[in-house]
Amino acid sequence: MLTISDLHAEIDGKAILNGLSLAVGAGEVHAIMGPNGAGKSTLGYVLAGRPGYEVTAGSVAFNGADLLDMAPHERAAAGLFLGFQYPVEIPGVSNLQFLREALNAQRRGRGEEPLSGAAFLKLARGQADALGFDPEMLKRPVNVGFSGGEKKRAEMVQMGIMGPKLAILDETDSGLDIDALRAVGDGINRIMRAPDKAVLLITHYQRLLDYVRPDHVHVLAGGRIVRSGGPELALELEREGYGAIAA
Amino acid sequence: MTTLLELPSTREEAWRWADLSALPALAGAAALGGTVAADDLWIGCGGPRLLFVDGAYQAEASVPGPIVVGPVAGGTDHALGRLAAGAAGWTLALGREAAAAGTIEVVHVGTGGASHVPARIELGEGAQASIVESFHGAGWANRLTLIALAAEARVMRAVRIGQTDGFVSLRDEAEVGRGASLVTTLLAAGGADSRLDATLVAAGEGAFVEHGGVLLARGQQRHDLAAVVRHAAEGGSSRQVWRAVADDRATVGLAARVEVARNAQRTDGEQSLRGLLLKRSASVNLKPELEIFADDVKCAHGATVGELDRQALFYLASRGLPPAVAQALLTRAFVADALGRIGEERVREAFQDEAARWLGEMA
Repeated sequence: MLTISDLHAEIDGKAILNGLSLAVGAGEVHAIMGPNGAGKSTLGYVLAGRPGYEVTAGSVAFNGADLLDMAPHERAAAGLFLGFQYPVEIPGVSNLQFLREALNAQRRGRGEEPLSGAAFLKLARGQADALGFDPEMLKRPVNVGFSGGEKKRAEMVQMGIMGPKLAILDETDSGLDIDALRAVGDGINRIMRAPDKAVLLITHYQRLLDYVRPDHVHVLAGGRIVRSGGPELALELEREGYGAIAA
Repeated sequence: MTTLLELPSTREEAWRWADLSALPALAGAAALGGTVAADDLWIGCGGPRLLFVDGAYQAEASVPGPIVVGPVAGGTDHALGRLAAGAAGWTLALGREAAAAGTIEVVHVGTGGASHVPARIELGEGAQASIVESFHGAGWANRLTLIALAAEARVMRAVRIGQTDGFVSLRDEAEVGRGASLVTTLLAAGGADSRLDATLVAAGEGAFVEHGGVLLARGQQRHDLAAVVRHAAEGGSSRQVWRAVADDRATVGLAARVEVARNAQRTDGEQSLRGLLLKRSASVNLKPELEIFADDVKCAHGATVGELDRQALFYLASRGLPPAVAQALLTRAFVADALGRIGEERVREAFQDEAARWLGEMA
């Protein structure tokens, strides 16, 4: 589904990714772990197309298409979803208004009919209920006044509404208490565990992996994948620290 | 015909951002005239309605109700306002506790040239009126509005400048009595330039004055606001909330002043001026002023000019919104609170739709 080959990227002339290669197949969950500054968030932003992140070499194929050639909104329409580590607050724009416009823009981009107001509302309420997210909060401005945990749950509600093929979740577990962590983990499994979908979990810690069991674990250090393994690698990292493994 | 037009110079502080250079030519030009189709211009509030075409009252298209059309009492020494003083216009005079039946709609259509129309709104104790005025077409529409509110009277006024071309200049002068309330909301969402002048006096104890709105400009367009709210009595409150959006090479100037006289203790004032630049080549000039002579006064104020939040734009794009749609959504949010004060839902929605239409036309 996703093939990253020898990817180099920089911000303000500073190289962050230095020849990263990774292949994620349909039906798979991959975890990317690594110390601060390894380039984990940069990888997410580069894949989503954030302005200011310049790809200097390498390629990314997403279901056969050249991902790097698409604008951010086209990547979303193609089925890519980035869960933000710090979801952005947007005063004056309600979640419902934003998500309906976004979903219908994606559908139009794929040549599908836009969803009616009633059908959209039903979908949004259903996803909110499943995440333990008060549907009334969907009427409020995007992320404004939400706690850290609420923002992360809201990201998962958004993911459920958009129904992406590939979710890149950037530290979706940070700032969550145990209950929220379980709810978010259940959400990821429910929405994304399917033969035609895949997940790239970017995380510092093992704990989210207790709920969302990865098929593959990779260690990112110095802008490259330095080691790959199965779920046991995450436990080894937790035990021994990044220093020993990334060295 | 030669027209001698005396205009203020930009050397005068109150006119420093004004560009009145188009006015002499407009004043000297003749209106095209002809039949004007105004049917689509009404919001349809079901109340009295007045149609002026090139400043001339159109009796057959109007339902004046309590409004009297003809010479208007009172004058001004304001440089543009005085051009309209003494001409034929409209007067709404309501006695004690009276209320106009439904929202009054006044539609002005220009076909070119210049038109000068005065208006007077005079409400007795406890009287109420809701008025919406719209400007359409082209030419120079110059208006003087004199407002006198007795104790506990209430006026809600909404003004939209939708002229596609030309110039609109408005001069408001108001005296708001004890416990009375004057709320004015303006929207400029057309292609015309504008100069908006107001001096609104909270003259009675506990008077409330609100004056705000949204000025949208693109191309070479200019909007220029010069508003003064003066607190002359104790316990009054005022709110000036203005939002300016400038695209391309457009310029918007917001000069807003709050004056609090020595005896106007316990005044509660709020002033918020915010500008949004959609391109680096556009300009928004802000001039917030507070002139306070009383010592027991609360005056919150803020003035900022900026661009759309890049992080927010990327967040919206990452969810699938094309750049133009994301920009329009954020810009709509930026102006929303300034239009949210329009009391009547139908009018508020018409104004919000018009702003959204303007934003939807963004490149």
